[in-house]
Amino acid sequence: MSSPFAINGGACVAMVGKDCVAIACDLRLGLQALTVSNNFPKIFPFGDVYLGLTGLATDVSTVSELFRYKVNMYRLREERQISPQTMANLVSSSLYEKRFGPYFVSPVIAGINHTTGRPFICGFDSIGCIDFAKDFIVSGTASDQLFGTCEGLWEPDLAPDDLFETISQALLNAVDRDALSGWGAHVYIIEKDKVTKRLLKGRQD
Amino acid sequence: MGSVFAAAPLDNSLSYSFSQAPNAAASGIREHSFYPYTDNGGSTLGISGADFTILAGDTRSTSGYNINTRYAPKLFKIGGEGPEGTGARIVLSVVGFAADGDALKERLDTIVKMYKYQHGKPMSVAACAQRLSHILYNKRFFPYYVHAILGGLDEEGKGALYSYDPVGSYEREQCRAAGAAASLIMPFLDNQVNFKNQYIPGSGEGHALEQRVPAPLPQKVVEELVVDSFTSSTERHIEVGDGLQMMIITKEGVRETYTELKRD
Repeated sequence: MSSPFAINGGACVAMVGKDCVAIACDLRLGLQALTVSNNFPKIFPFGDVYLGLTGLATDVSTVSELFRYKVNMYRLREERQISPQTMANLVSSSLYEKRFGPYFVSPVIAGINHTTGRPFICGFDSIGCIDFAKDFIVSGTASDQLFGTCEGLWEPDLAPDDLFETISQALLNAVDRDALSGWGAHVYIIEKDKVTKRLLKGRQD
Repeated sequence: MGSVFAAAPLDNSLSYSFSQAPNAAASGIREHSFYPYTDNGGSTLGISGADFTILAGDTRSTSGYNINTRYAPKLFKIGGEGPEGTGARIVLSVVGFAADGDALKERLDTIVKMYKYQHGKPMSVAACAQRLSHILYNKRFFPYYVHAILGGLDEEGKGALYSYDPVGSYEREQCRAAGAAASLIMPFLDNQVNFKNQYIPGSGEGHALEQRVPAPLPQKVVEELVVDSFTSSTERHIEVGDGLQMMIITKEGVRETYTELKRD
């Protein structure tokens, strides 16, 4: 009941397609069963890399701001954009720095590596252990439901428009079975030279 | 599901559906306790169609991280004759505490048989469903620790499916998943059986957009959905696996199938 991961609620999912990746999140912010806001996105763009954060809302904001600072510093020093792989290692080491007093977040990363041209997704636990996955990553209070829908709907080598339909259906149907998630969604479809952001309405209860 | 006694109903954090018994006292007064329930894991699923009902369950039985057996059926024919349950037209699936499930099946089977001997006609599914609710509620303060699903054909020959909570609250539905992997299977079923979140393309803008209307699915499609649901759950839940038992109820009777699932 008082798990810091389940106070505010929220869900996030990332998927790999053919030469594309997708990342999506819900928009709910709550305090236990009470919904406080229906416009609290959990995905943050860092150049070509997208970071999804679920868990304790105060830590979601803190950690997203921390990485805004860190990625900006990286850009100034290196004079180039950060790659998804480098971002993954940055997230991992930053979280492990707080090993004995962690941020209560479950991050998800999605992006395309512009050197190799390959899609990349990964997830983390709250102390930075990386989960490299070839198919999909889920996080948040609806993670059980997301595992079910993703495992049932996802297939390899989906084209961008099919990937959008798959990730949207996976997220929407998962959050409808979780009382702490929902109230609309953001979906990003990331291709080599194009990113499409869509807002989904979804059930408003 | 199956967590009516859990202290934390809203805690959806990463955990297993069983809990460790907190029995550690340092020294001095030693407390002994007896907890009469075990969670034997596994999952069940039922979907009804126009002229059939399919019930399914995996055959793994667990306690904690241990596997008791790879073949412990959770599906039972009700009201049939002999050890094979010949001529049965109703199927009961139970998941949760296996011993309670067995006891419940035994009780319901006897009652349905007694009904036939006394009235000279087989019990209807609707009557059996209500009776099952009463059996469960009769033990309101020491419940059968199970999530039951009852399947058959109604008096018009249409597929009938009833699902229950451990104390007998019940409802007729098109589809229902229960047990350890219910949270994984149920949203998938919402989408694929009841077409939730699906709209007819080009039917309108915004709120005028028309929802895709659910219609009873063909038997073959339902069988594929059941198998997909269980292979998916086997992949992501440690308490699900080993084998998949299915019972398909049509006007011809009950057909039973068994397919292998991953054993890891």
